[in-house]
Amino acid sequence: MPLLEVSGLTKAFGGLMAVSGLTFSVQQGELLSIIGPNGAGKTTLFNLLTGIYRPTSGIIRFDGNDITGCKPYQSVRRGIGRTFQRTTVFGWEKVLDNVIIGQSLHVRTGVWGAIVRTGAARREERRIREKARELLAFVGLSDMEQRLSGNLTEEAQKRLSIAMVLAADPKVLLLDEPTGGVNLEEIGGLIELVKKVQRSGVTICLIEHKMRMVMSISDRIIVLNYGVNIAEGTPAEVGANEEVIKAYLGARRVA
Amino acid sequence: MTRRFSPERIGWLLAVVVAILLPLFVGEYLTSILLLIAIWSIVAISLNLIYGYTGQLSLGHSAFLGIGAYALGLIALKLHLGFWPSFFAATAISGLFGFLIGIPALKLRGPYFVLVTLGFAAIVGVIILAWVDFTGGANGLAGMPRPNPIPLPWGGQVRFDSLLNMYYFVLFFLVLIAILCDRLVHSLIGRTFIAISHDENLAESLGINTMAKKLLSFTVSAMFAGVAGALYASYNVVISPDVAHFARGMDVLACLIVGGAGTAAGPIIGTFVLTAIPEGLQIVPYLKTLINGIILLLFIIFLPAGITGGFKALALRWGDSRKSSGGRDAAP
Repeated sequence: MPLLEVSGLTKAFGGLMAVSGLTFSVQQGELLSIIGPNGAGKTTLFNLLTGIYRPTSGIIRFDGNDITGCKPYQSVRRGIGRTFQRTTVFGWEKVLDNVIIGQSLHVRTGVWGAIVRTGAARREERRIREKARELLAFVGLSDMEQRLSGNLTEEAQKRLSIAMVLAADPKVLLLDEPTGGVNLEEIGGLIELVKKVQRSGVTICLIEHKMRMVMSISDRIIVLNYGVNIAEGTPAEVGANEEVIKAYLGARRVA
Repeated sequence: MTRRFSPERIGWLLAVVVAILLPLFVGEYLTSILLLIAIWSIVAISLNLIYGYTGQLSLGHSAFLGIGAYALGLIALKLHLGFWPSFFAATAISGLFGFLIGIPALKLRGPYFVLVTLGFAAIVGVIILAWVDFTGGANGLAGMPRPNPIPLPWGGQVRFDSLLNMYYFVLFFLVLIAILCDRLVHSLIGRTFIAISHDENLAESLGINTMAKKLLSFTVSAMFAGVAGALYASYNVVISPDVAHFARGMDVLACLIVGGAGTAAGPIIGTFVLTAIPEGLQIVPYLKTLINGIILLLFIIFLPAGITGGFKALALRWGDSRKSSGGRDAAP
């Protein structure tokens, strides 16, 4: 059974079909890339999967359950983690605190525990701090835990945002352009991190524009154009697909 | 994780010692001013929780203040329940109103939430004024109880009919609520409040039930404001609809901004400054509003983080630039 299953997913903004009749599935453990020209509906798709938008029609099944219409926080609790295109961290908080906040959904301490500072509350705080340190080590930011995250480089913020989502223990991670806005020399390190996350057992869906990167790391690729799934397959299959070449380069260039 | 004797703790301890000793050296009049500062500081702390830490600007806290004051008065006068039951009931009723108003209001964001809270304050103000049979209308209520005397283990009792003892009673609640608020915002729950204030969408995308957390913060905040209202009613013995006038909500906000929203000391410092300056200058009441307005404007333009917030931001930046001097771009 696939981990994530989308069937007939449609989102219309007024008369504009941002995503239209999309059907695909994501297998446990794979790295699936979603590519397509600007405006193809990639980010809209992520917003549908994470409950930011309600689909106009269609069904999203995750881990065997129908999650269509879940609220964003509920989809995270079910195991769908997500990073944003515009890197988002809590800039006025320290790096370590960002990852602590990322674990909020696991917190059991209530108001009473918080104001009395019960033993259980202290233990939980210690445990969450430890886990935050482990996650920072995992993404390679250990030496920056006390820095203000807003002062980090774009690349380091991308790493941090991944650590923050991983803190929620997602089963699948939706990465919206994890290398966007990052220096060319730093891209390799981020790709390495994405692969490392996949090796740790997290399924990955990736939106990317850098084709060489997509071709090298993806297990499978889905190509969207005008909200429609125009091709699907291994990197080699997709690379040879005429429709794809047409969508990317324009009809004139097709030999 | 603060150290036992961090500079902050020593500062707080000193402030409490000064607050305890000060009324022994100043006259009755200044003590009564200090007492009011303590009460408005509690309201400012309560607003700080929902606005400073959770990022939801409420202009309706005058309503919770009024509900707390009138609840204490009505329960004590009509049900003859005595001070403590009335006091706890007033706190709970304010919290309940916060919870019930919060459910629809907190679904809205930004200016829409602000407007709903302002509307709520206006409605509560009108109800208190117009429902004469119940609230006494413009005449208000008289005969609010002072706290019951507390018996001492070595005989005798602490009575609260003197101004000084009432001042200590209010001060106790100010310190208690400041501590409760501080512990709450520095807990794992408090971090979710702060996260929401920075970026609600990001908080939700990390699995935080932002609606539930905002509602929690708003309810606790309304309870604290209700405590202040009940204390005010008990101290003043007489209350009038003025206590719930919506302008009070603005005054409290001004105090919070001047002191520094989202800091522990900000609400108290701001309330002190905005009360002490006009009081020290001995100016007529309507000029007081003018002066406070000018002070507020100057702060919004030149120091939007407020007195405490300005210091904190400086310290943060300074600390961070020191740490970053070795390898700003050294991501491994």
